[in-house]
Amino acid sequence: MAEINNCFEFKRAYTVLISTGRSAASIREMLDVLKEVSAGSVFHHTYQYFMKAHHLSYTNDFAQWAGESLEERALSERLSSIDPFEFSSIEELRKKIVQTIEEFLEEFPTPRRVFPGDEFYFNETLSFVYPVGIRVTNLNEFFHALKTVDGQCIYYHFYEARTRLEHSMDDFSMWIEHGLGEKALAEEIRNIDLFMHTTEGIRNRLIGIIQERLLEGGLS
Amino acid sequence: MIELYRGIAPEGDLVIIERLCSRLRDRSFLHINSTRAGGGVAEILHRMIPFLQSLGIKARWEVIKGDDRFFDITKKMHNALQGNDVRFTDEMFQYHYEVNQRNARELDLEADMVFIHDPQPSPLVEFRKKGSGKWLWRCHIDLSVPSKPVCDYLMRYYKKYDASIFSISKFARGLKRFEFIVPPSIDPISEKNRDLTEEEIERILQNYNIPLDRPMILQVSRFDRFKDPVGVIKAYRIVKNYNDCILVLAGSPATDDPEGEEVLKEVQAYAEGDPDIYILMLPPNSNLEINALQRAATVILQKSIKEGFGLTVSEAMWKGKPVIGGAAGGIPLQIIHGITGFLVYSIEGAAFRIRQFLNNPEMTRRMGERGREHVRNNFLITRQIRDYLSIWYYLEFGEGRILEL
Repeated sequence: MAEINNCFEFKRAYTVLISTGRSAASIREMLDVLKEVSAGSVFHHTYQYFMKAHHLSYTNDFAQWAGESLEERALSERLSSIDPFEFSSIEELRKKIVQTIEEFLEEFPTPRRVFPGDEFYFNETLSFVYPVGIRVTNLNEFFHALKTVDGQCIYYHFYEARTRLEHSMDDFSMWIEHGLGEKALAEEIRNIDLFMHTTEGIRNRLIGIIQERLLEGGLS
Repeated sequence: MIELYRGIAPEGDLVIIERLCSRLRDRSFLHINSTRAGGGVAEILHRMIPFLQSLGIKARWEVIKGDDRFFDITKKMHNALQGNDVRFTDEMFQYHYEVNQRNARELDLEADMVFIHDPQPSPLVEFRKKGSGKWLWRCHIDLSVPSKPVCDYLMRYYKKYDASIFSISKFARGLKRFEFIVPPSIDPISEKNRDLTEEEIERILQNYNIPLDRPMILQVSRFDRFKDPVGVIKAYRIVKNYNDCILVLAGSPATDDPEGEEVLKEVQAYAEGDPDIYILMLPPNSNLEINALQRAATVILQKSIKEGFGLTVSEAMWKGKPVIGGAAGGIPLQIIHGITGFLVYSIEGAAFRIRQFLNNPEMTRRMGERGREHVRNNFLITRQIRDYLSIWYYLEFGEGRILEL
């Protein structure tokens, strides 16, 4: 594999929460707010769920609230099965969540309210993005950097990138394919089911796949 | 000063703090609250102000002055905002305003960014000069079910701020365009949280005649009914039927909390006759002592019924101790149930979880380790400084919701 001039710069994202002032104490209230809350709020409670260090048994905040606070396990499972990365826009994702809740309400039309204090609070975020000061120019350097960058870096390049870029792909595989010419390796990375991993899980998977490629190509 | 945090705080937070401070260099940042001793706000300001100064920010901290009547009113206000039924008269509101008016004459309120902490100094915004910097109300207390008359009174000031910060989402009011959510934090290198040697711990505990030969259950908090110290004793008494242990309740007086003495007497009366209960009213700033107690404890409780945030939970977790806490205020953000500790809803629940920890040292160690990492990533002072600077930067220069720095 030839060394190229193209470099990959690791960036990190962190967020500061902003309250929307909207909350829900029952699934009907959640449905009403979900229909009109900002796209930024839907984004925060779904995509940005993957930023959380402790990946619980859920895949978005709505599912977690349905499971933990409402104790509506079936609804929680259905909401958890919605993969936000399958949708081309936040509005498409919003429609799917709304549809899932409406279908649930058709089956169970009188859901309970949560105990006072367990309401769902809709937030948005301010996102701050900055380079962490690590640039790499080949796969070996990339491999070593990947071991040390923090989870927020992985989130930014592997998860959030898909919402940023038109092609819905992660930054890592894009660079590996177009910057390093490693199409097969890029494909392998794209086959990782990001929905089934935490950021740390993704890091370990990437390290494993790249290490294999480095050994096989005598590149390490 | 930032160097002191390298290897302790996440490196990414330190990088961004330096970057934001270089962009806000030589600008002024004023904090105003109502006490220099006691409570989490004062503790953080003691460290945050010199930290920011060392990075080129003109940071200042002022404290409003008031007499006993003023602090009695503000304590009642605090209780009313946390849901207690407290009667207020117009004279009380008027006196609250007048004391702030007197403070406004004495204080220099000019700064590029002004943070007013909690309700006590909130009327100061009335004396803000035209064209002055941004004013932000930083509310640390639980406003989820406030008493309406007191809340209505404070809202007349609240509306005059440019933005506000609450510790958790459920405290936000939904009245302003910018209501930010920033959890508070602990300082890992302070006397209260730095590493201690075994000798230091033993010496401090000996000073208070606390034995180290049995497991210790500990709650560190002000003597305040919202912290349920009597409930803690009841839980300990259940545990005592199964496990030999001691209970330590430790707190410090705060100048803005006139009820503390009364609650302390109630707790002492309830504990009377049990030589294994140690009730310590520590002098203000007994940080080293609290540190030693937390490190010596086997299980730490924060059995609050109402809570602003409950930073003692993060303090305990930073020392590798799992915590059993009431599901109030910010405690559920710190205790991830079953991972970094347990959330409890009753005295019986607290007792059951204490027994679990006392009987499962491996689980206790594992949860303690996870808790420490959770605090490292989310509840250290560097993250809070990062968030404050980010909000300030956004209010001054930001457009859109994504900022490239």
